[in-house]
Amino acid sequence: MSPLHFLKPELLWLLPLAVLPLLSHGVKQFSYPSLMNWPKDVASLNVRWAIRAIAALVIISLVIAAAAPFTEGGTESRIGLGAEIVVVLDRSGSMSEGLKGRDYNRQSAEAGESDAHFLSKIEAARAVLLKFMQQRPADTFGIVAFNASPISVASLSSDRALAEAALLSAQSQSTGFTALGRALALALDYFEGRPYTASRLILLVSDGDAVIEGEDQEILKQAFIRQRAKLMWIYVRGEREQSILDTVIAGDNEIITAQDMAYAARQQMASMHQVFSQLGMPYQAFEVDSEQGLNKAIQAVSNATNQPTRYEYRLPRKHYAHYLYMLAIVLMGLLVWIKQQEIVVWQSSPSGKSR
Amino acid sequence: MKQQWIDYRIQWKPTGHQSGAMRGLSAGIGDHLRALALLRDYPDPRRLDLRASLRDPFERLYVRDTYLNTALKLIVLVDASASMGYVGAVNRWQVAQDIAAQLALSAYRTGDAFGLYVAHQSLIREGTLPPRLNRSAWHWIQQRFHHIQPQGHRIDGLIHVTSQLPRKRSLVFLVSDFGWSESDIKTMFKKLNHHDVIPIVLEDPFEVTQAPKQGMAILQDAETGQSRFVWMRAGLIQSLAHKRLQHQQMLQQLSRLYGYKPFLVHGQFNPLALTHYFMERHT
Repeated sequence: MSPLHFLKPELLWLLPLAVLPLLSHGVKQFSYPSLMNWPKDVASLNVRWAIRAIAALVIISLVIAAAAPFTEGGTESRIGLGAEIVVVLDRSGSMSEGLKGRDYNRQSAEAGESDAHFLSKIEAARAVLLKFMQQRPADTFGIVAFNASPISVASLSSDRALAEAALLSAQSQSTGFTALGRALALALDYFEGRPYTASRLILLVSDGDAVIEGEDQEILKQAFIRQRAKLMWIYVRGEREQSILDTVIAGDNEIITAQDMAYAARQQMASMHQVFSQLGMPYQAFEVDSEQGLNKAIQAVSNATNQPTRYEYRLPRKHYAHYLYMLAIVLMGLLVWIKQQEIVVWQSSPSGKSR
Repeated sequence: MKQQWIDYRIQWKPTGHQSGAMRGLSAGIGDHLRALALLRDYPDPRRLDLRASLRDPFERLYVRDTYLNTALKLIVLVDASASMGYVGAVNRWQVAQDIAAQLALSAYRTGDAFGLYVAHQSLIREGTLPPRLNRSAWHWIQQRFHHIQPQGHRIDGLIHVTSQLPRKRSLVFLVSDFGWSESDIKTMFKKLNHHDVIPIVLEDPFEVTQAPKQGMAILQDAETGQSRFVWMRAGLIQSLAHKRLQHQQMLQQLSRLYGYKPFLVHGQFNPLALTHYFMERHT
């Protein structure tokens, strides 16, 4: 039991008012010639003290209720199931390229000649993510789509229809620049102000092709630590791209010249995979080069987020004023009833009633 | 106020030489034969007893000697302690005034001396009327009585005033509610024991019989100022009546010890009832 606090403790100075019922008569007073022959009546005495006690209790409870007592709720260790997943979907131009293995017969696919039709990376990602969302009814999803700048498409909520619509609306568009850092920051912002009740995951679906600046790295690192979010990168690999696990600049397709080589070496530190690895938060990367691979990656994601989260739930303050008000109301009702019993005229009325 | 004569009567013979309405003990003009005397000894030919004179062989003349019809001294002692100021169904002090006034009127009509003493812890001078044949006492009481404010809870003045009463036996009305302790009543009766005392007990219907049957109130003792919370209910009323009865029995027993009989005034004073009381008193 945590100690009792008061919102307005200064009101407690009114507590001495509780002595009032002891001072005043409260009940109508009649002159009587001599009480010498009045029998000693213990019941009357008890009733009197009971009335005084009730009246004092009413005042005490009203004063204390006005002072608004509460106890801090404290924290409770809870186990959260499900996860809060923010899908950060890359809709940069490169995402419209074909998935590895599905890229070759674009023309024939568009012409309707081939079964193994062309499948762009974003389409594949969308389809799989939709399926994933439908499989995970307990999770909360938020969607951030980004190319040149991140768009908060669907904030983190249990509104599943919104998230699905947001996902479907994400179309690839080339703008020449991919704001990965800001997208991640926005995704992390989704967690801001929310109680930590479930494992948090930022599911980055991207094909690389983005650079995170040094300062941003630091900011992101701090944000990840603060929000206690995990990062998973589903690297949707196209036909021509390198493996992220190679120490080459992610997202760049070809290394042609020595100048480029040098540039790549300079940017080596900025390579996404390495950057993420160094951010100091739980990080996993899945390299996906086909739809089956994407499914597999999603499977891995669900496994990772299925683990229950232990978290400290901060319980709300417990206010006690209303109990005291209730008590006061009940007691005051009792007092009103007692007041009704009061003798108004010291005389027995013909009906035998005192009133 | 309706003037109604209280026909009080006594079974004893008052001493004294003031002529009045009661059979006295001294010789004088009256209607009760005391003895026959020779005219020679009592030369009053108006009271010649012809029968006795004729019957005498020596033809001496006899006169009747009668007991003097003697005037009585009627004294009213009024308790002026605070409880006498109680106003319930009736104003108790007003009732006391009625009693005193009626007695004063009756005493004058009967030709008796009337004295009034009002006292609480001390004698109240304004309420004192020495026992004299007093024509206007009735009016005087009506004028003065309500100026007196009953107060205090002691009757020391009343006990003390007994020493100022006439030494010869008088008819003393003791008007009070008798909410006294047993020892006070005893002392009072003992001090008055050579008088013929009629304790007039004033009682208010609201005190007991018409007290509320249920409910709560605070009662304040008019004398001590103590207040008491009471929860009226059947049980309490019963024990109250019982306690009251005990007190009345105590008063009755003490009265009997001295040969008195209390007269209860419940509510308003009815002079006729007091006359009835006198008729029944010694039968």
